[in-house]
Amino acid sequence: MKENDPLISELANIVGSEHVITDPTSLSVYECDGATVFKALPDVVVFPTTPQEISAIVKLANKHNVPFVARGAGTGLSGGMLTVNGGIIIALNRMNRILEIDIANQQAVVEPGVVNLWLTQAVQDDGYYYAPDPSSQQACSIGGNIAENSGGPHTLKYGVTSNHVLGLEVVLTDGEIVEFGGAVEETPGYDIRGVMIGSEGTFGIVTKAVVRLLRKPEGYQTLLGVFETIDDASNVVSSIIAQGIIPAALEMMDHFVIKAVEEAFHWGFPLDAGAVLIVELDGIKAGMQGQAEQITEIFNENNCRETRYAKDEEDRQQIWKSRKSAFGSFGRLAPNYITQDGVVPRTQLPKVLRRIAEISEKYDIPIANVFHAGDGNIHPIVLFDERDEDQCERVEAVNMEILRACAEAGGTITGEHGIGVEKMDYMPLIFSPEDLAVMATVKDIFNPSGLCNPGKIFPTAESYAKLGL
Amino acid sequence: MSNSNQLHENLVQIVDEAGLLPEDQLSRYAIDDINPQAVVLPRSTHEIQEVLSYAADSALSVIPAGGGTKLGVGNPPDKVDLVLSTSRLDQVLEYEPGDLTVTVEAGIRLAALQAKLAEHGQYLPLDPPYADRCTIGGITATNASGPSRFRYGSARDRVLGMRVVQSSGTVIKSGGKVVKNVAGYDLNKLYLGSFGTLGVITEVSLKLQPLPEIERTILLTFNDVSETVNVASEISGSQLLPTSLNLFVNGVPLTDSPEPCLLIGLDGPSETVEWQIDAVKTVAQQNGAIGVELYEGQRQQELQGAMCAFPQVGAGTPTVVCRANLRMTDVSGFINTALEANESAPWRMRATGLMGSGVVYLVFSEFSNGDVPVEHTAEAIANLREAATNVGGNLIVESAPTALKRQIDVWGSVGRSFELMKSIKTKLDPIGLLNIGRFVGGI
Ligand SMILES: Cc1cc2nc3c(=O)[nH]c(=O)nc-3n(C[C@H](O)[C@H](O)[C@H](O)COP(=O)(O)OP(=O)(O)OC[C@H]3O[C@@H](n4cnc5c(N)ncnc54)[C@H](O)[C@@H]3O)c2cc1C
Repeated sequence: MKENDPLISELANIVGSEHVITDPTSLSVYECDGATVFKALPDVVVFPTTPQEISAIVKLANKHNVPFVARGAGTGLSGGMLTVNGGIIIALNRMNRILEIDIANQQAVVEPGVVNLWLTQAVQDDGYYYAPDPSSQQACSIGGNIAENSGGPHTLKYGVTSNHVLGLEVVLTDGEIVEFGGAVEETPGYDIRGVMIGSEGTFGIVTKAVVRLLRKPEGYQTLLGVFETIDDASNVVSSIIAQGIIPAALEMMDHFVIKAVEEAFHWGFPLDAGAVLIVELDGIKAGMQGQAEQITEIFNENNCRETRYAKDEEDRQQIWKSRKSAFGSFGRLAPNYITQDGVVPRTQLPKVLRRIAEISEKYDIPIANVFHAGDGNIHPIVLFDERDEDQCERVEAVNMEILRACAEAGGTITGEHGIGVEKMDYMPLIFSPEDLAVMATVKDIFNPSGLCNPGKIFPTAESYAKLGL
Repeated sequence: MSNSNQLHENLVQIVDEAGLLPEDQLSRYAIDDINPQAVVLPRSTHEIQEVLSYAADSALSVIPAGGGTKLGVGNPPDKVDLVLSTSRLDQVLEYEPGDLTVTVEAGIRLAALQAKLAEHGQYLPLDPPYADRCTIGGITATNASGPSRFRYGSARDRVLGMRVVQSSGTVIKSGGKVVKNVAGYDLNKLYLGSFGTLGVITEVSLKLQPLPEIERTILLTFNDVSETVNVASEISGSQLLPTSLNLFVNGVPLTDSPEPCLLIGLDGPSETVEWQIDAVKTVAQQNGAIGVELYEGQRQQELQGAMCAFPQVGAGTPTVVCRANLRMTDVSGFINTALEANESAPWRMRATGLMGSGVVYLVFSEFSNGDVPVEHTAEAIANLREAATNVGGNLIVESAPTALKRQIDVWGSVGRSFELMKSIKTKLDPIGLLNIGRFVGGI
């Protein structure tokens, strides 16, 4: 697309020319998300501020038959916001207002560009918070969370984004502005809000959301256990659940991650430990100590080397920082990494983790693990150097084998990052052509022209060939 | 041979005699006074496919059903050809307690499933009405819930995946069996609450919960509704974690107390529950409660059961049940409006408000001349619906005599999202086979 393309001036008419980017250097910022191995340059990026502007942009895109893709903060990990065939990026960074906070009804109305953490910050003095807490919450947008149906460490007890969104305002792919759901828990008819959530930006552009706020728990108990082996730590996970305790969070880091985090931040973890578990209880203080003791006992039964208890809120924040800072330390391990994302039934964790170790050995590609163990949501971190072509090929094989292992264990190929462009090829591992045909039918209903975020989610003929199907 | 004999014979070839409800029992599945031509009870997905294909070829409509407890929800149908009940598909397919998930056939009854799960100290935290008879498929298709949705959510928050037979006979899967899954579109949400209009649900995977150590219910009685509501909001805005928080006016289940009251369900480790009991008592005493009673054991179970059964319709007694969905802060205003409007009406109106989730049930019964005065009740419902929509809520008529249903739209308007809903129905049930004309906007 040329700079003097009439589309550009029409876009400038809608949002003002200072809110339109067309020069290649600036555009390159928008060529990828957090999954940096996938790149595609957009033709233009626009920054609207109202649903009406977005509606006008979408109508224009339709008129010119140009693809358009919404973008939140660009922290996605599956290439969801990539303009694979070029086109317009509709960046939502300027739509970042919290429109309404209604404490009495425990809900808030936000624009899509609001950063996840801002909402919790805005209501914490009232004693409330927004529960879905992706590890990227300091940067990612609520619109992006809705598109990906994001989770986080506390998903174990509180559920994913879909459990916390009551209503949406959406600019549909023909430019119409419609609301689904609302300020009440249920509305008659099909749950279109529910189908919209997790549709990875292919059903329209979310311009407003009514979300639930939760009362901050009275207390927390945060425990950190150091284990000799991953197996021991995995057994702890199933034992806790089997004893009828559902912690707020149950996170695991393996020896690779412990080492990287320790070298980068000096939290005082033993470098030779096999695994670290972070278990958090929250809720009413009365009775919590009893549960913490039960957990300590389970720790000890599984060869726990050392248990730490967060003494106070500062201590607790420190422990969480060590977990959330893990991503910042992988740069020490290898020039590049891919954060894999799969889910297995909790009881299959030990088996699948052993399988991943085998895969790592077989392809001589190091894999670190830091993940939401309580949910069985694994994040193998595949470490490599993208300048080495041979490694890249092996990494592709590694990804496929990991996801196959998850599917074969009765799980799924993504628990929170989405399919995007990254995992289209693997969809047939868990869905039959008939399952996918229904999804395609639903996509056609919402996005008949296919111009809204094309080239995502659905496998191609090549995908089947790759999988040997 | 008469048509009905022919139909009978054709269906027997698919499902055997045992798979057909005897003719003299068809009225059990009557929908708005219309007896179905046949009630089919297939034993396998394959049989379901055959029945659907037979129905499609013979231009018969099909109404999917589970235990039949919510079959009456919807606008009156033009005709009822086949009712297809999944109640004989009632097996637990996969249950690994350590995963805290279960996969079952759709026809398993909630009570039967709970009994199996209890052996392993777990349960499905859903407590919809008709708990003894309703099936998991039915709960899923209606997105059913009960008082404990305050803490544990509705079916929507519990269903991980399902298998569905489409009207074309194709079997598809949505979601999966693990607790987190964002692969592809979340089609579970389409089928949840679709009232059998999009497919026959044959299998459901669910997220479970460990059984609590103890359960208690506290009954607080007040002089007026506003005091009751104040205490409810005080509790829901506190750090207490009740499982249910129900307001009742004009009649509390199992007790004869005419005063408004609040039933508070608590569960968890005994230490936690005991602490909450004390906290609730303190709030109650500071806010004018005239009665505080604690229930446990058998009596607690009965009370909790009666609370869930509140919106149920007794056999043979004319009853109208409305359900409003509101914001929490609109519940008391709405209930007051309803009370005032129905004070001198020729019927008794009882109300319960699920304070934590904004659901209000209004139950009209004891009609003075023994029957429902259609025009009068239709007008009352229209007024209530307006009161609900004025504050951004909605009102659904869950149960009513057919004559009344013909005067109203049981669902109310769904606004501009209707066009999309209509395309969903036409694209996913293109031959128009399933539960036609009864859902929103005549879908
Ligand atoms: C270090 C790190 C840690 C992470 N941890 C987690 C985690 O714990 N849990 C988790 O779930 N994810 C995690 N993620 C992934 C990512 O942060 C989430 O997917 C997040 O929701 C993306 O939000 P975003 O605003 O960055 O969206 P983007 O990357 O900008 O976009 C993501 C997708 O959403 C669409 N989209 C964005 N806004 C809208 C809108 N308004 N309407 C319609 N579609 C829209 C885009 O088109 C795209 O398809 C992590 C990422 C990083 C980098």
